[in-house]
Amino acid sequence: MTAAATTVDRRDVTRLPGPVASIFEFLRTMSRKPVGLIGLIGVVFFLFLAYVAPFLVPLQDQVDVASIYAKPSFLHPLGTDFQGRDVVNQIVYGGGDIITTAILAALFSTLIAITFGSIAATLGGRIDALILAITDVALTIPQLILLIVIAAIFRPTSFFALAVILALLQWPALLRQIRAQVLSLKERDFVEAARSLDLGLMHIIFREMLPNMRSYIVIHFIIAMTLAIYAQAAIMFLGLVPLSGRNWAIMLYFAYNQGALFFKDSFFYLMGPIMAIALFQLSLVWLASGLEDVFNPRLRS
Amino acid sequence: MPVLSVRDLSIDYRTRRGPVHAVRDVTFDLEQGETLAVIGESGSGKTTLAVGLIRLSPRSARVTKGEIRYDDGKRAFDVLSLDTERLRRFRWADCAMVFQAALSAFNPVITIWEQFLDTGRAHGMGDKHKVHDRTRELLDLVHLDPNRVLRAYPHELSGGMRQRVLIAMALLLDPRIIILDEPTTALDILTQRAIIDLLRELRGKLGFATIFISHDLSIAAELADRMLTMYAGRIVERATVEDLFYRPRHPYSVGLMRAVPRVSGALGSVASIPGSPPDLIRLPRGCSYYPRCPFHVDECLQQDPPLLRVDTPDHEAACIRWETVAAALGSDAEAPVAEKLA
Amino acid sequence: MSGPLIELDRVSRTYTTPAGTIKAVDDVSLSLGESETICIVGESGCGKTTTGRMLAGLLRPSSGRLLFEGADVWEKKGKDLARFRRAVQLVHQDPYASLNPTRTIAQTLAPPLAKHKKAHGRAARAAMISLLERVGLTPPADFLLKYPHQLSGGQRQRVSIARALTVDPRVIVADEAVSMVDVSIRISLLDLLHNLATEFHVTTVLITHDLAVARYFGRKGRIAVMYLGRVVELADTESLVSDPAHPYSTALIAAIPEADPTITRTKKRVPLKGAEVPSLLNLPPGCVFHPRCPLSEPGLCDVVVPILGNLPGGRSVACHVALRERQPAAELLGVR
Repeated sequence: MTAAATTVDRRDVTRLPGPVASIFEFLRTMSRKPVGLIGLIGVVFFLFLAYVAPFLVPLQDQVDVASIYAKPSFLHPLGTDFQGRDVVNQIVYGGGDIITTAILAALFSTLIAITFGSIAATLGGRIDALILAITDVALTIPQLILLIVIAAIFRPTSFFALAVILALLQWPALLRQIRAQVLSLKERDFVEAARSLDLGLMHIIFREMLPNMRSYIVIHFIIAMTLAIYAQAAIMFLGLVPLSGRNWAIMLYFAYNQGALFFKDSFFYLMGPIMAIALFQLSLVWLASGLEDVFNPRLRS
Repeated sequence: MPVLSVRDLSIDYRTRRGPVHAVRDVTFDLEQGETLAVIGESGSGKTTLAVGLIRLSPRSARVTKGEIRYDDGKRAFDVLSLDTERLRRFRWADCAMVFQAALSAFNPVITIWEQFLDTGRAHGMGDKHKVHDRTRELLDLVHLDPNRVLRAYPHELSGGMRQRVLIAMALLLDPRIIILDEPTTALDILTQRAIIDLLRELRGKLGFATIFISHDLSIAAELADRMLTMYAGRIVERATVEDLFYRPRHPYSVGLMRAVPRVSGALGSVASIPGSPPDLIRLPRGCSYYPRCPFHVDECLQQDPPLLRVDTPDHEAACIRWETVAAALGSDAEAPVAEKLA
Repeated sequence: MSGPLIELDRVSRTYTTPAGTIKAVDDVSLSLGESETICIVGESGCGKTTTGRMLAGLLRPSSGRLLFEGADVWEKKGKDLARFRRAVQLVHQDPYASLNPTRTIAQTLAPPLAKHKKAHGRAARAAMISLLERVGLTPPADFLLKYPHQLSGGQRQRVSIARALTVDPRVIVADEAVSMVDVSIRISLLDLLHNLATEFHVTTVLITHDLAVARYFGRKGRIAVMYLGRVVELADTESLVSDPAHPYSTALIAAIPEADPTITRTKKRVPLKGAEVPSLLNLPPGCVFHPRCPLSEPGLCDVVVPILGNLPGGRSVACHVALRERQPAAELLGVR
């Protein structure tokens, strides 16, 4: 979303600070809030871990009966699992799917919320009432339970399908926020000015209104990612999704079901994915709080 | 004997970029019963000064030096040395402040009578009946019907009525000084007129001294006996109302007078002041009005000019070029600046 | 220019509130020629802003017509309507709300230039520079990359005016455009708007509560005084301020505090009968001003609604007594 907003802004203007300058500017603002900066570093670290590291580290997929539940050592810094496979290696390879699913779920839910929130606010009347009613119903359903039911029925096999299901559950909160924002923004003087300059609906929505909602959208996006990760962890831990592939949540499932709880030496096998999930989530939350400053132009100068 | 003497008062605001020198070395006397108007652009320090006088400044403000001496003949003290309890008493009993009659000046969920009662109690009027009698008397004085107003909630009153209520409330403990912050802004013309007339009438009856802060020169022309012009935190001119309107000697006062058109009389040569006020964190060397001043010479950059006596002993201006300003305005007749410069 | 450029023809605007129906503007007609300046003056709730918004085509009248170059605007569709929209631009009151806080000045000015003038890249930059120069923001290049929060209130108003100028408007409606900027710079903003009228033949409508501002700005034009949704007087600026024809304008001018201690303290007042303005929900019958009016005559003013009629000297007034006596109210009330 950040990238999208910036490119939209860039196109129409003759001269703007180059991309390097904006990145510098961005980091400068972020550095004012240490928590945000730590969050940013954490998120970058995990993205690197999930998407780049697998190319650098060979996959260790071999069952090694000799070293089942091995203690941490130089060779296996976090020990091994119930089949003697390296835990660190699994963490490196287990981030991609879960993070991709989370990003897709957040993206879909944000798109749904923006589209229908803006439609409801702009058109008003019956359509608004209908969208709001659906939103209210969706908000009142206990989400995790519904998720479990849906996952059990549909048994999503691709992370894409899983992301769609997760997104369907997450849009209502942001939709209400977007609707309220658009309602207030459309009465604002600068939106009225854009209307009388005949700049078109697309300009008004994408360049006048959406940039003023950037903070809501980006922060919601991040929060939606964290929720999607928890939801994935929950349903995979319950074994509701076909358990193939490598994934932090699947690691947890196996660790639990293979009795890792009862082996003292498997402490790191259990804690590894838990810590990966927790630290990634914390980084996301801190990044979100740091971003609030970035989106406030008053604080930017 | 002045009821309030302010000496070398300086107030800073702390900000991330450094201290903002909002009020600098302000010295003036407020005589018993007189009305003193403080004028200047936003950012000139007039509001900081007004709230500073009763120490209502926001937490980021700090008095760096000076003295605010109150003396009503019976009691005398430095306002800056009061403890919290005595300060609270001073604030209503000796010196009351009337804010703009916005709804936010009231507690929205209690009636006007309860607002009066709360104010009375907070300032030591324990006897409910006494507060009641005093309140009815004051509402009569501001030409409101107590039977109707006391039971009303703030939102049920018009802007003009709310302003009257605020004035009555300020008078509850019979203070010797009233500070008015933009008392008629946001009111309609006819209501504004009624409030001005009311203030004049109350001043005559009760004899309190008034300081009022306004960006609206016409209110000053209506009510003031003497005036202070503030620029960049300093008093740059001090004069009687006639002297300031017809014979200003500081170029900034001249600029302000010229910036306001009138409805009656000739329009004259009306003009805005070019440029904008200086950065109060990094004040330039010399006169802070230098960059905007049409009369400036190199000498103005040497030091921030002190208040100099001009024309009469009651008239001071912080400008080394005041004689040139006087010459530019020509006659001393009672005609507004815009006409003289036309 | 033969006929009027833009015209409100007996427009009214009603609002439905939980407390009842409000007639914010009632039967107002105004007709403006090319490069004319006119001020609409009145106190809060008089309908001046609603009138301005109807004039700008931003609000549809409940009844009556808005005519632009003789054609009914609300009959227009598609491209015609868009062309009208661009021809009339509004400058808002609040310099802190009228510019998008997330967009630089360049980003604010570029889209209308790109869309309507096909100016991109260098051409757009040159156009922006010349617009900023035109509105007195110099050096212009310094402003292009600034965000609104980096500018003062007066500078933002200038950017708003520059933005309006990107589409070569024929009419500019400035709604209290100077009331929120510092007194010391109001005149220069008014001068800027005034020069647009003379140099670019833009018709300028200034909506204000401040008669002194109206007098200065409209010194070569006309003033319309509104009270409770109606135009009560319409006249050349100088004759209106020196010799008001309607008792309400007379009272207003007599009451207004002036920046001149002698004048303001010795003004002759017009004693009004009541201080409170009637509620729009419950307007008095006949002339809406009659309950407060010192000239009102029972059986006439409280029964018949006065309509604008002509007095000598090219002024129109909606007052039974002034029209009958063929004299402005200021004379009748002895405050000349």
